[in-house]
Amino acid sequence: MLSVSALMGSAALMTMSDDAKASTEWAEHFQKNYRLMTDEEKAEARTRLERRYSSEYGKKVAVDTTGPQPGVLMGYALNVRKCIGCRRCVHACVEENNQSRGTRPGEKIEWIQVLRMERGEFSKDKMNHGYPEGLGIQVGGNAYTPAGQVLEGQYHYNPEAVPEKDATYMPIACMQCEKPPCVKVCPVRTTYREADGPVVIDYNWCIGCKMCMNACPYWARRFNLTKPVLPKEEMNPVTHYLGNRPRMRGVVEKCHWCLQRTRHDRYPACVEVCPVGARKFGNLLDPESEVSKILERKNVFRLKAELNTFPKFFYFYD
Amino acid sequence: MQQLISFTTDYTRYVLKGGTKFYAWMGSLALLIVGMMYVFYLQNTDGLIVTGMTSQISDGLYLANLVFLVGVAAGAVTIVFPAYVYHHEGMHKVAVLGEMLAITAVIMVMVFVFAHMGRPDRLWHMIPPRGIYSFSSMLGWDVMVLNGYLILNFVCGFYYLWCKYTGNPVNQKWFIPLVYVAIAWALSIHTVTAFLMANNPARPMWFHSMMPIRFIATAFAAGPALIILIFLVIRKNTRFWVDDSAIKLLTTIVQFCLGIAIFLTLSEVVVELYARTEHANGLYYLMFGLHGLTGLVPWFWSSLVLMVGAFVMFFMPSFRNDFDKLRIPCAMAFTGIWIEKGMGLIVPGYIPSPIGEVTEYHPSFVEWLMVLGIWAFGFFILTILLKGAIGILLGEIKHGGPAAAAK
Amino acid sequence: MRKLAIVTLVLGLCGGAFYAVSAAEKAAEPAKEAAPKAPVECFESRKGASEITQRDIKPGWPNVKCSPKTGAALWYGDPYDGTVPMGKMPGLENIPEGHAVIKPRTEKLALMPMCGVSCHNGVGPAFNPPTLPKDKKPKPNPTMEAMVPDLANLQHGRGRIWCMDCHHTTKRNMLVDHFGDPVSFDQPQLLCGKCHGDKLRDWRDGIHGKRIGSFASTGKKRWFTCTECHNPHNVQDGARNRGFAQLQPEASPQLPRGMKDASHEKLHPIPH
Repeated sequence: MLSVSALMGSAALMTMSDDAKASTEWAEHFQKNYRLMTDEEKAEARTRLERRYSSEYGKKVAVDTTGPQPGVLMGYALNVRKCIGCRRCVHACVEENNQSRGTRPGEKIEWIQVLRMERGEFSKDKMNHGYPEGLGIQVGGNAYTPAGQVLEGQYHYNPEAVPEKDATYMPIACMQCEKPPCVKVCPVRTTYREADGPVVIDYNWCIGCKMCMNACPYWARRFNLTKPVLPKEEMNPVTHYLGNRPRMRGVVEKCHWCLQRTRHDRYPACVEVCPVGARKFGNLLDPESEVSKILERKNVFRLKAELNTFPKFFYFYD
Repeated sequence: MQQLISFTTDYTRYVLKGGTKFYAWMGSLALLIVGMMYVFYLQNTDGLIVTGMTSQISDGLYLANLVFLVGVAAGAVTIVFPAYVYHHEGMHKVAVLGEMLAITAVIMVMVFVFAHMGRPDRLWHMIPPRGIYSFSSMLGWDVMVLNGYLILNFVCGFYYLWCKYTGNPVNQKWFIPLVYVAIAWALSIHTVTAFLMANNPARPMWFHSMMPIRFIATAFAAGPALIILIFLVIRKNTRFWVDDSAIKLLTTIVQFCLGIAIFLTLSEVVVELYARTEHANGLYYLMFGLHGLTGLVPWFWSSLVLMVGAFVMFFMPSFRNDFDKLRIPCAMAFTGIWIEKGMGLIVPGYIPSPIGEVTEYHPSFVEWLMVLGIWAFGFFILTILLKGAIGILLGEIKHGGPAAAAK
Repeated sequence: MRKLAIVTLVLGLCGGAFYAVSAAEKAAEPAKEAAPKAPVECFESRKGASEITQRDIKPGWPNVKCSPKTGAALWYGDPYDGTVPMGKMPGLENIPEGHAVIKPRTEKLALMPMCGVSCHNGVGPAFNPPTLPKDKKPKPNPTMEAMVPDLANLQHGRGRIWCMDCHHTTKRNMLVDHFGDPVSFDQPQLLCGKCHGDKLRDWRDGIHGKRIGSFASTGKKRWFTCTECHNPHNVQDGARNRGFAQLQPEASPQLPRGMKDASHEKLHPIPH
């Protein structure tokens, strides 16, 4: 099987016309899992990638390899009361993280999903329309309404203006679980939890088996069905190896809390554009950080807490 | 060594000989295999975008067939088990054919693994020492048990054939224990595959402990159903005679396991739909549709009709005892379970998504061609393996050439 | 055979023509780019509070990226662009000097330069009766109502507060604190916190409102002040029920393969 896969690798490479590019990809094909690389190998992989990306996107691209900073455990909090469902975070994320933005179905990838949830209404004229109607077990007193039910949300809402009076909004992205099920199921250990919190992926090691996508209870992972469509001028040249560097066809990607920013003490892109300040990010080990203050002062909950994934992403409300 | 070379050449020479019917069959299979190779090339240049898979429905026909074929591979044990544990005469004669089927099914599973992956060129990442093997991953375990099963069946099957070929007695000292290991191993492959799906609390459709037994029950219905069909073809087209007693026993196994499978399916329906929690959304989508989307509804009901219909037919002596008519319930059971495990189990696991997004699965032409091609590939291998095995069992391939065979 | 040749010829010609056209298009493109682009301007938190004009800080690295659909700021290349130190703020003494910056609100308020000089400087044109009120009691003021539309029926405080509760009586380019001392328009939190104390406390700790830049608690941050997100003269309009004005949402996600529309989302599995 080893030889077969190597053979297919070479076959795939033979279809590339460019020799220099092919040789780079050849070297990339045989590089190790990022976590097992020595510092020299990391530096090598980094220069290799920088060279390839720079020529591919026509500008100087930096691939950062900064590791976890001591004393930092990243945490996130989101004020569901504040969110107005404007989706600015979704698009900021795309600008920052070099997702595919093509037009064919499947070529457009967004890591954040915003659910619009109906407030619902309990009205007099619906009294006999509830569930379980018709079985004769219960009549009346039962005006079924989907209020507050996450699985009843809308993803493609598109009103003139938000927030709407009859709706609440619930953004969902990777929860960077303390006990991530995706990490457990990965057969090649390409996805793992970094020492400062985020769950990351070594895109070069991912085999695209999609088991992590089955395991994630938050539907945080996306699959690159084809080579990502990333126009040169829109490409963000400040990248991190485990973060927003351009991905390749056939690998899984997801939110990593903007590692290229947060490893250098900058807020994630979604936090910075949220017009209502619903998104909060900080160091859980620092009692003065906003997330620590929120955990200390506000009512928080973790999404699907019953699954014991222990997200480091908290929802709160004031 | 000399013997091994002559075994290989005799085997190949025998398998390559055949009538027009044989070449037409192999030729049409080869055509489909070429089609499969083309779509495989497409998938690995353009990407999986040529399939109907999305980020919402991240697996479909490929994983479905993979799971189903693991069942078929495990199903071969329904021959080996009675043959070696209960010393069933008729079964003992054909036990090696079951092993050939298991080999084929496992190879097909592996091709499906390649087909569903985003980066099959990186599969070596799973294999130490260069790669990393993860003991926490069910997929890792699955690959391990499948390869083990392949090796076990290859060794058992071909050692037996080898002994028949050379005329040496089978070394019972290690052969019989190995067969027992293979029998237990057959259960392990399907159990691990069930765990692969069931160990995902994110997918309530799969997340229940009934999965392994349901997988085994359906496998032991679909596997022998296919074997019966193959045996009937063999009886018709070769000089090799499969005993009635073998087919009868297999029919009984199919019927019992099919009954258990139906029972388990209906139990699930009752448990899930009585309380109708949101965890039942997947099943509800499958049975009645969700949010007005009803893509899988016909699949579910047709599968149920096929399975129940086949079950009832197996009760009727006219079907059970008439081997011409027996094909009908066997084909029905096989198809019904193929649907139930594929479109009826894998796909609704993705609908709705864990956060409630309902989307529908529309398999593309590429996917259908790939599935068809891999099945053709499977039948291609199976034909070769069965033909060779039958040749040896009939004594048409024998050490010392045709002269020895004629004796 | 002949037919085949003709077909090939036609195909070849078409291909050639297509190539020529696409080549011509390619040649035309750079010319288009050379034309000076209209400056791209986007609003930050809410429309009408603060705008940024997009420009390149370094080649290929803009200070901000704007949404082509809504004109909202989508991405900050430089979070501190156009900021000034926040000034003294009680409760934030631990932040190192210069690490708390804001965007000056003063520049954004169109009437600001006039406020302190033309009418309300205490001299101004000789209005009769005199323009400066003697107390904080509500009085109809047609001039001001013309400039601040909701003044006729000010919802902020539901009729319990009036201009002079927030604006300084004599220094009209200033706000006012509890003691009657002037507060800069750049530090509205000192005014708003008079009533919204819980919000001020949360804002100071970074829970309410928004800060961008460095996330470390002592790092340099740009703080968004109250009025960058809330319009104190307009707290109730529109079909909303929150303190934030409605705005146009960004584009919805792409429909997955095979889905024609998303109308199914509006249905609910258990029928009403």
